[in-house]
Amino acid sequence: MAARTTVDTEGLQRQLERYAHDLRELFKKERSWATELERSYVATVRALSNAVEARDAYTGKHAERVTAYALTLAAAAGLEVERTPQVEFGFLLHDVGKVGVPDSILFKPGSLTPDEYAVMIQHPCIGVDILGHVEFIGEGLEIVRHHHERWDGRGYPDGLAGEEIPAAARVFAVADALDALTTDRPYRRATDWLSARHEIIAGAGTQFDPTVVDALIALPDRAFRRFAR
Amino acid sequence: MSRTILIVDDDRSSRRLIATTLEDVSGYRVREAGDGAEALTAALEARPEIVFLDVELPGVDGIEACRRLRSDPATAEATIIMLTRNGGRRTERFARTAGADVLLTKPFSPLHLLRLVDRIGGRPG
Repeated sequence: MAARTTVDTEGLQRQLERYAHDLRELFKKERSWATELERSYVATVRALSNAVEARDAYTGKHAERVTAYALTLAAAAGLEVERTPQVEFGFLLHDVGKVGVPDSILFKPGSLTPDEYAVMIQHPCIGVDILGHVEFIGEGLEIVRHHHERWDGRGYPDGLAGEEIPAAARVFAVADALDALTTDRPYRRATDWLSARHEIIAGAGTQFDPTVVDALIALPDRAFRRFAR
Repeated sequence: MSRTILIVDDDRSSRRLIATTLEDVSGYRVREAGDGAEALTAALEARPEIVFLDVELPGVDGIEACRRLRSDPATAEATIIMLTRNGGRRTERFARTAGADVLLTKPFSPLHLLRLVDRIGGRPG
């Protein structure tokens, strides 16, 4: 029997096109799953952030405002803070560890005793414990851990100084202060924006990264106030 | 520019294969051309966002077609992806000089093609 040598190129072509068609459809399906997954990450993070906020009637929408401020400052400071969902997650969830701090300390109108303070400053590490196994938080975890570090190294929990502190956390510190000063808190009323700026500028080089403070100086109030409502 | 991908290859089977791979991914319509001259006419008509352009074309070859697409303001903004059977530094240099964004050597990965188009065109909706 003679070997078959004729190749059905037409048939092969059709078969190949079928492969291409199926590959394309699988690609589209995978892509839409990836989008859906990303959306549910964002929804989960927002839910968790809302849960933290719901406890604290004073700071309403604090996390969302600080996130917007921080992204604005980062862009203006030209720091290498990538606008990734992970960084945004870190901003939104920075205070998640406060769920581990008793109300009597968290909402105390006066100043804290040394023992109370010792509990209070655990919240970044509690936050890391809560989120440590959540893989999609990624580098956002650094913000949760280091958002109370100070430029001069006198912050907590690790006492990092200067550029040892992740850039996103340095930006965040300024954003956080800006919002804390311009909104009412249990222990004091909101100050006006000019006074808030002065107070932050006074902390440049000690509490805050001077580059980020420069960015704040260069930006007009409206760059932030449009998020403040 | 319109949401069109123009596929230029003198080999109909290769063209069909790329077209089938990319049809309505990220909402692109697909158009085909078999040689350089036809490609230029089709590009002027359709103003495609993305052009897949074979280097080895009869008549006006791919490199020349690429250069002309780049020099005409009507088509200059397109992302041009050149395809070649003979990938090498020489072809690479010609393609870059002519203004190509990407040079792919055949056989290329269809998944790479899909990701490329996805990255250029963004996700639909």
